[in-house]
Amino acid sequence: MSKPVPLSKLNEKEFITPANSACQGCAGSIVARIVSKVIGKDMVRQEVACCGPAFGNITQPVFYGEIFEGAGAMMTGFARAFNKIDRSDIRVTGIIGDGGTIDIGFQGLSASAERGEDMLWVCYDNEAYMNTGGQRSSATTKYAATTTTPIGEFSRGKSEQKKPLPLLVAMHRVPYTATASVAYPEDFIGKLSYAKPVQGFRFIQVSAPCPTGWNFDPRYSVKIAKEMVLSGLWPLYEVVEGNLKLSLKPKKLKPVRDVLKSQGRFRHITDDEVDEIQTWVDTNWARLLEKDGGPVF
Amino acid sequence: MAKKFEVMVGNKAVAYSAKLARVKYVSAFPITPQTTIVQYLADMIANGEIDADYVTMEGELSCQASAITASTTVRSFTATSGPGLLYMHHPMHMTSWARLPLVMAVVHRSTKGMQPDQMDTMSQRDTGWLMWECQNSQELLDTGIMSFKIAEDPRIRLPMIFMGDGYILSYTSEPVEIPAQEEVDAFLPPYKRPYPMLPEESEEARALMKQMWNPYVDPQKVWIDQQQAAMNAKQVIKEVNADFEKWFGRSYGNGLVEEYKCDDVDAVLVAMGTIASTAKTAIDQLQRDGKKIGLIAIKSFKPFPDEEFQRIAGYAKAMGVIDRNVSTGTNGGITFTEVRHSLYDVDERPSTLNFQAGMRGKEVRVEDLKRMADKTLRAAYGEKVSPIVEWV
Repeated sequence: MSKPVPLSKLNEKEFITPANSACQGCAGSIVARIVSKVIGKDMVRQEVACCGPAFGNITQPVFYGEIFEGAGAMMTGFARAFNKIDRSDIRVTGIIGDGGTIDIGFQGLSASAERGEDMLWVCYDNEAYMNTGGQRSSATTKYAATTTTPIGEFSRGKSEQKKPLPLLVAMHRVPYTATASVAYPEDFIGKLSYAKPVQGFRFIQVSAPCPTGWNFDPRYSVKIAKEMVLSGLWPLYEVVEGNLKLSLKPKKLKPVRDVLKSQGRFRHITDDEVDEIQTWVDTNWARLLEKDGGPVF
Repeated sequence: MAKKFEVMVGNKAVAYSAKLARVKYVSAFPITPQTTIVQYLADMIANGEIDADYVTMEGELSCQASAITASTTVRSFTATSGPGLLYMHHPMHMTSWARLPLVMAVVHRSTKGMQPDQMDTMSQRDTGWLMWECQNSQELLDTGIMSFKIAEDPRIRLPMIFMGDGYILSYTSEPVEIPAQEEVDAFLPPYKRPYPMLPEESEEARALMKQMWNPYVDPQKVWIDQQQAAMNAKQVIKEVNADFEKWFGRSYGNGLVEEYKCDDVDAVLVAMGTIASTAKTAIDQLQRDGKKIGLIAIKSFKPFPDEEFQRIAGYAKAMGVIDRNVSTGTNGGITFTEVRHSLYDVDERPSTLNFQAGMRGKEVRVEDLKRMADKTLRAAYGEKVSPIVEWV
């Protein structure tokens, strides 16, 4: 199991140059900086279509394959080839969006997990195809307005629940699966540090609120990420060798209403709809508490 | 050195070419009629005959995508057929864009059925890959080895397909000479990593990525460079084919086209793949009967041997082009269109006829080919034959 690493212990050397083309308040950028600092000089990065091109200021080698669905396969090719030239010290890492992970990239993700490929897959989850203009993905929370699930007389926003990806990955019996949040960098750094030297398939899904797509003031990205964790919308946990451990257990969850209402994408949401999400969050949290400290399968 | 022969099916010959090229990465996915290639390779790796990493991917798209990144660092190989090749189409553009010398075997399978035609590779015509066709199993083995050398040549650095008809070659046994490993090692130098991807090469790697994506350089540069490389390939193919002849005593025409019994002819049939090998029998019989017709077997489809056809126009008054492919909505197959394009700037253009044949594995018999030859000869002697394009 991972242990939080204080920010003061973080590598002082930067593997990212100042300034990039990400939007103001981009939480994905925070993910990119933290990942590059922790994996550092050992990192070779695979990138696919996502907001990732904005992270081109990471100084380690990157292969940007214009193959949206190909993250798993392309990281497989790198991992196998590096191993073949006795360079398994190289940590093949993907900083991949939720679409390239959960939707179009899911087949490659599942297959790489099943084959136990030696790769670290970090999904920064901004809950939609943000680089393309904020279209719905299967990571989008129910009732969120997106550019393909707009609010109108006949639409209440996205009509399906968020796909529970981290548990699906854990069910592949991979060595390491975790959730993380930009609001809890010590926890995230601890998880990355734990996952870095592990051989095999490692997966971390990081909640990365998007001011542009979620429609909130850019200064609140980390605040909203924090409220999502404290309300149970994005629980922090990890699964090591099939055992689940909650990384943060608030005594009492905050109601989801405030954090939903603070985002423009939920501006339209009714009390009944908030209640529905609250019920789902409560059920999910109760089940996680049941599993905490024990096997997930 | 004593020659080593083995009776083998075409797919085994393909597997041998990858083995002799000492590939280090093989991505595999089963699809008929390619499947036994990757089975043979799996066996060879399991028995320690090849020191390669073998991955059974979850689909052909991933086969191609993983071979792209692997080929930045080690010599890589994959193989597929028909719909599997169509599924690779989108990453194949990336392979040529990144200028990675990946080699792939394609065992032709129709896109509308199990039997062979060329619609699978013709659908990849403009992906930036070089493409060679083969007529028999020996040619598959030899062409596979040559493909690595051509693709990896610093003047080219483009991915390459070598291909042959499914079933007719893939599952048919014939004696094949297996070149000695030491000789192949001498012919084909070790793989030079074509792409900086190691952490200590981060500056070069990032510079390359910036160059690929830089919006401030000529956006067309990538295509101009790729086109130049493909055109350079004509010369390199000829050189490698001649070099192969020196080492192994076999070559395939001049590497671009094979002119079969073309001395003193008035017309030629033009064909690719196993139809060309059947056509050789037809030509033998026709020439015995005094008919002045030869055969042009297209070896290199990409780059297309324009200059060769312009030269052949100097002695052939008519060309009967056989197409095992269809370009729906265009009157004539794809090879026919390419041949006609080559001939436009020739002062005295030969007559050109097109025969659409062999689709979805329909058998093309010697009698069929003799009839095509007869029609082509009549055109050569000035008769207004009709139709120009005909289904056989």
